[in-house]
Amino acid sequence: MTAGRAWSRIGVGAALAGAVGLGLIAVPAGAGAAPELPPVSAQDLVSSVLTAKPGPFNGTVALDNALGLPSIPGAPAQLANGTSTARVWSGDDGKGRLSIPSGSDEKTVVADGTTVWTYDSADRTAAKHAVTPGEHAPDQRSATDPTAAAAQAIETLGKTSTITVDGTAEVAGRPAYDLVLAPNPTERTLLREVRIAVDAEKRVPTRLTVLANGSTNPALEIGFTDLTFGPQDASLFTFTPPPGTTVTDEPAPADKPEGTPGQSGPPAGTTVVGDGWDTVVVGKAPTAPQGRPTPGDQGRPGGAAPDLSSLGTPVSGSWGSGRLITTAVASAIVTDDGRVAGGAVPEQVLTEALAK
Amino acid sequence: MSTSLVERDTAQPTRTTAPLDRLLAAEVRWVLRRPRTLVMLGLFALIPVLIAIGIVVADRQAGGGLIGAVAGNGLVLPIAALTLSLTLLLPLAVAMAAADAIAGEASHGTLRGLLLAPVGRLRLVGVKAFGVLVVATLAVLVIAVVGVLAGSLIVGGSGQVVTLSGTTLGTGEALGRVALVAVWVIGQLAAVGAIALALSSLTEHPLVVLASVLGGLIVFGVLGAIPALDWLQPWLLTSGWGASADALRDPLPLGGLGESTLRALCYLAIGLGFTAVRMQRRDA
Repeated sequence: MTAGRAWSRIGVGAALAGAVGLGLIAVPAGAGAAPELPPVSAQDLVSSVLTAKPGPFNGTVALDNALGLPSIPGAPAQLANGTSTARVWSGDDGKGRLSIPSGSDEKTVVADGTTVWTYDSADRTAAKHAVTPGEHAPDQRSATDPTAAAAQAIETLGKTSTITVDGTAEVAGRPAYDLVLAPNPTERTLLREVRIAVDAEKRVPTRLTVLANGSTNPALEIGFTDLTFGPQDASLFTFTPPPGTTVTDEPAPADKPEGTPGQSGPPAGTTVVGDGWDTVVVGKAPTAPQGRPTPGDQGRPGGAAPDLSSLGTPVSGSWGSGRLITTAVASAIVTDDGRVAGGAVPEQVLTEALAK
Repeated sequence: MSTSLVERDTAQPTRTTAPLDRLLAAEVRWVLRRPRTLVMLGLFALIPVLIAIGIVVADRQAGGGLIGAVAGNGLVLPIAALTLSLTLLLPLAVAMAAADAIAGEASHGTLRGLLLAPVGRLRLVGVKAFGVLVVATLAVLVIAVVGVLAGSLIVGGSGQVVTLSGTTLGTGEALGRVALVAVWVIGQLAAVGAIALALSSLTEHPLVVLASVLGGLIVFGVLGAIPALDWLQPWLLTSGWGASADALRDPLPLGGLGESTLRALCYLAIGLGFTAVRMQRRDA
């Protein structure tokens, strides 16, 4: 029965094709061959980044978090270890839209140039912030928009680091230069290097990778998995609260839903010890949060954090005693007398700063 | 006239196959005449109604998730009901149909007749697979249609849908999203049905097929929930089953739906290929 045998073979072929197809879906796209690009000096690359005008774009951002932050009740899921994605649309004049899905819910941030709306589908609430033009543009999206996050890192770390262009990479299917910031040998830090992929054509940072000492896997990687430049649909940047939504109006200067650590100068009552990679910020423990009254605002070391006393391990020294909280890239000490010291440094640097 | 008749008869003296449409119609008739299929479809119609009544009775700002999104937002109901049913109930229905299709016939002794009948083995597999697909499609359509009706009549929502992104969709686009989810669910069920058919061709006991499919789905769910095994996720059919919530986002992201559909097609090829090989070699 030759016909039957032929059909059997087709059946086996179909099953094999299915199995191979599953494998193709399962195996990540992987880094293709490094693209060939004309060499560029680090100086030129950084300056072209600082002057780049990418124009409107949309894309998908993937965040791979292995920071090892202790779980803080009420903190957004993106702070915990794991991967998450967000979709970003960016228009001209500070217009933007950010969608952060989590499970069957979604947080949406829409900036139409004068107003920033934050919509949460879980409890169907919309918050409205008035912003002055120009203030919000880079900061609003910086936590999930690598463009702003990486440009900031270049500015602040340039003085105490060696900056090199280390080959090329492919990010979101686009060729990119890999800019590497490594701490100078004298810097006492937990970080090994920060790699920033800069799009070869548009000269915008498209991926930020933070590598810590003693680990080959990134402690934090945030980058575009999909990126398209071009005009965006204007209706994306408008928001009308849908029926059945609770709208809260927050006229005060916008409390960022996704803030950037160290985006402004140190608030009153804090001191900065050291500079560069081994900067340690010493401040008051958040017993009386000032100017951050909303319970939705999430804690990070030094911010308006929930009760920290249950976190970390007890430590003591000539500076007193407290609790040490360590993560892959940073540590913090909360002392019993109400001080907080934190930085991307090992414990010893923290205790020296506290002793000063 | 008579000569042409004779000629036609002699031209095809060895016709061994029946017309495909007649075979398919016979299979569908056979599937739909079973009381259990009809009872099952009736029970599926109850699912959206029960969810709708539950949401209206509870009548408070429900929490997050798809069910929470249904409150005051009737056209989300079919999507939520389909997503809920996809976890176990719809696969159960498909597995039942696939178990009856081959293993059930074997246990009744009627498979012998089919294997000896002048119907190619491959054609037999195709007809059986079509019967399973019809059951899956009918079950999904029942949930979707009853869901739209129950959502509009019981939950309400003025024909509009508030997406998870906070935008409002008109009735037409909302129904389009429901149709998209329905088609996507049918695709996932086709994959489950193909695997169930492959199991069905291996055994003479329909219960074995049912237990294997449901057990497999539960194991997939457990494997998908273990963080240390997250590398396994892209291989699991069930890991993309949360993608139906994407239909309620705006602009519509197609990545998750597309990837899970591709995965379902791979499972479909494996299942049908295995069934074809097995039926080719099965003794009458």
